[in-house]
Amino acid sequence: MRIIAVTACPTGIAHTYMAAARLEAVAKNFGHEIKVETQGAMGIENKLTDSDIRQAQVAIFAVDIEIEGRERFNGVTIIQVPLQEALKNPEGIFRKLQH
Amino acid sequence: MSPDLSSTALQFVFNCPLSAGMHARPASHFAKLANSLVSECTLTNLRNHREGNAKSVLSIISLDIREGDRCLVQISGADEQFGYTMIHDFAEQVLPSCDVPLAKSSPTKPGFLPRILQRAEAKCYSGSAASPGVGRGKVVFLNAVSLPQAAISHHRSDPQEERERLQRALRNVRENIREELARSGSEAGRDVLQAELALIDDVVFAQKLAEHISEEKSAAQSVLETGKFFADLLRHSGSEYIRERAADVEEISAQLLAETADGNLPQAATALQEPSVVVAETLAPQQFLALDRHFLKGVVLEYSGANSHALILARSYGVPAVVGIKHTKSILSSGQDVVLDANRGLLFAELAPDVDRFYAREERTRLRQKTILQASASTPAITRDGVRLEVGANASANDEVVLALENGADGIGLFRTEMLFMNGRPPSEEEQLAIYEQVVKSAHGKPVIIRTFDLGGDKAAPYLEPAAEENPFLGLRGVRLYAKHRDLLQVQLRAILRASAFGRIQIMIPMVSAREDVLAFKEHLKQAQEALRAENIAFSKDVPIGIMLEVPAAAFHLAPFGTEADFFSIGTNDLAQYFFAADRGNPNVSRLSNPSNPSFIRFLNHIIEEARASGKWVGVCGDMASHAKYVPLFLGLGLDEISLPIENIPKIKGIVRRLSASACRSLVDQIHSSHDASEVNDLLASAEQTCSSCPLVSEELMILDSDSSSKEEAMQEFIDVLYNSGRTADPQKLEDALWAREYVYSTGLGFGFATPHCKTDAINASSIVVLKLSEPIDWGSVDGVGVRMVIGIAMRATQNGDNHMQVFSVLARKLMIEDFRTRLLETPNSPELMQYLTQELKLTLT
Repeated sequence: MRIIAVTACPTGIAHTYMAAARLEAVAKNFGHEIKVETQGAMGIENKLTDSDIRQAQVAIFAVDIEIEGRERFNGVTIIQVPLQEALKNPEGIFRKLQH
Repeated sequence: MSPDLSSTALQFVFNCPLSAGMHARPASHFAKLANSLVSECTLTNLRNHREGNAKSVLSIISLDIREGDRCLVQISGADEQFGYTMIHDFAEQVLPSCDVPLAKSSPTKPGFLPRILQRAEAKCYSGSAASPGVGRGKVVFLNAVSLPQAAISHHRSDPQEERERLQRALRNVRENIREELARSGSEAGRDVLQAELALIDDVVFAQKLAEHISEEKSAAQSVLETGKFFADLLRHSGSEYIRERAADVEEISAQLLAETADGNLPQAATALQEPSVVVAETLAPQQFLALDRHFLKGVVLEYSGANSHALILARSYGVPAVVGIKHTKSILSSGQDVVLDANRGLLFAELAPDVDRFYAREERTRLRQKTILQASASTPAITRDGVRLEVGANASANDEVVLALENGADGIGLFRTEMLFMNGRPPSEEEQLAIYEQVVKSAHGKPVIIRTFDLGGDKAAPYLEPAAEENPFLGLRGVRLYAKHRDLLQVQLRAILRASAFGRIQIMIPMVSAREDVLAFKEHLKQAQEALRAENIAFSKDVPIGIMLEVPAAAFHLAPFGTEADFFSIGTNDLAQYFFAADRGNPNVSRLSNPSNPSFIRFLNHIIEEARASGKWVGVCGDMASHAKYVPLFLGLGLDEISLPIENIPKIKGIVRRLSASACRSLVDQIHSSHDASEVNDLLASAEQTCSSCPLVSEELMILDSDSSSKEEAMQEFIDVLYNSGRTADPQKLEDALWAREYVYSTGLGFGFATPHCKTDAINASSIVVLKLSEPIDWGSVDGVGVRMVIGIAMRATQNGDNHMQVFSVLARKLMIEDFRTRLLETPNSPELMQYLTQELKLTLT
């Protein structure tokens, strides 16, 4: 499965990047392809392009704050979870995708 | 009872310039001058029309003179003309500088309670912190000194006998205070006792006593009525400071009362037997002094202003004190164990293990901090690339010199002597020698630059008979006065030269504008040296002579001084004032005299290049040197020394150590192409980041044997580590920022790791702190596992963002990798951990 994701936390110092790393690692275990955009203290990094978005089957938003450029994802299936979920139980998020 | 002044009395009106009103110190100055006259001298407050004898401190302070009050001085008698000049000059020129900032009672801010104490379930009362520190001990109640309400039913004996009884009492109390004075080891203690002595000898106090005695009252009754009269008068003053003096009057009166009763009234002395916290409604100064300070661990007062003598003493002896806790008799009992936190204004009325542990850990932190500060105070200030900047102190008295050395001064860059000359008469050679000798001895081999008297301008001495000048700052000041007052200069130079036999003295000449000034000065010096030689009096043969650079004409071209001067020191205040043709004291133009102006900085640069070309040492001793923001500029300009007020020395030395001199030189290049002062200030503000490199990871930020046993304690330790390493000056704000993040959701990320973090301007340099905990602690982590390692991230909030963010994001990602976590937990010591983190986070070692 081709998955895209966005992570964003209140201070943008730590959890944004932890969640991104977690999602990347667990997706690999599940055999998915994933690209994670981080919206943290350094601004948007690893930005999802229009073509990334078009090709993705699902988008995971692990965010605690409103993200920038939500309109880019119009028409994409979005699963939004609190960021902590990506740290606590990332496997759970991916299992949800398979249903 | 005011003296009858004939209509010919000389008089003038002045406005009280003192923000604290006419309090004891200026009043005693005033009274001292008035007492040197045979003329009568009165002072009238034109606001409330109270009139008093200007020879009495008590009388002056009871006039309730507040800032801005118009005051009338009248002088009448044989030496009225001299008196008029002297007191007029005092009121105009000296009085404004008598305004010492008074301590303010500062109620403890709510919400200041550290989380650990908030959680502790111990009975706690809060008041105002009045003298910092933490103490624990048993409650000892003391009763306030008070005068009996009712008249004393002493039968009156013979009036002559009563008069003698009173004299005897005055003598005994005076003697007791003198003995106490001789024993007292602290400056503040002596000041307080001197003030009490002055009270006993006060002419108006004596007058009032004499009046009562002559009305055939008993000695005791006279004392009681006099004491009550003045205490009431002072208690109704508009100034808190003066109201506090009422307690002093009562204490002295109570002592006199005890003495007049022929020892029948027992002295209520309480001997402390064990570590104690003394609790009282109020405390009189001698009551405080009588307490055994070995056992005195704290003081709690129900009522007291921040400037009561008891609190001034508590501060000077380092005894913790809290005021404003009411109803102490009902909330505490004698002998009960208490903990007094006079930093936060708290009294814990029971011992709780949490509270004890908190203070024990805080004490440990304080000791660590002290060790670090002391270690850094005594070492020179050297930049990261090895350039030394001497950091000296400005001083004008011996106790300041002692304090300067304790605070790590590399010498005394400016010892001012004008104040010695601003009393009624010039100081003698012996008086000056005593001071200079003490000062060089206190400096312990470090250099002391003594500036010869710099009078004129805004500083005058009546005996100099200053000519009326339209522009005193452009008139006879500093060295320009010396031709007219050769004798004064000879006396001072002899005293300085004699003191040079005891240590390293250098002499600095103020207000030099041309080479002739220096040549003439050296003639004076030669004369003093020859005279001493002829008298066989020892002095050092090579006392360096320096020039204070404050006149642009002199500062612009230093080569002519090359052979005559050994060093230069830039007085930035006057130099800027003359350079910009703008009076710093004139609010309409003071903004023009801004040392951040790029043209002034070019001028400084020019001066320093000139000094370099002649191979001479050059320093800065003006106000500019005391501002932390200019440190990168001074390093970039290549100064040898800066000299500044004592309290800023440790901080400035710390900044020098963080900076790189070569980066500062590039900064100066940028400054040279700035257009205005605000551009310069912006560049200077960014210098802390661009020119300093405080490493993100450092061994001093790692504690691998942390005994923190709760999240609160670990957070506190995280903050303490940053505080101890000088990375935050505002631990309270840092704590608030960390907990604000923590309340969103726990930073316990699972796997036994927690990453508390925040971004705040309370942090000077972004930092990663590592705490390895001896026992796992609950952090509310996502997986419920106890935390064994805390990786704290403190990020500096700046406008331009932080170039360390990249590192933090790498760290956050790596923490998700098991191998990385295992290595962190298993690395046994900080050097190895330091190396591992540096390599993993791709940090460059500095």
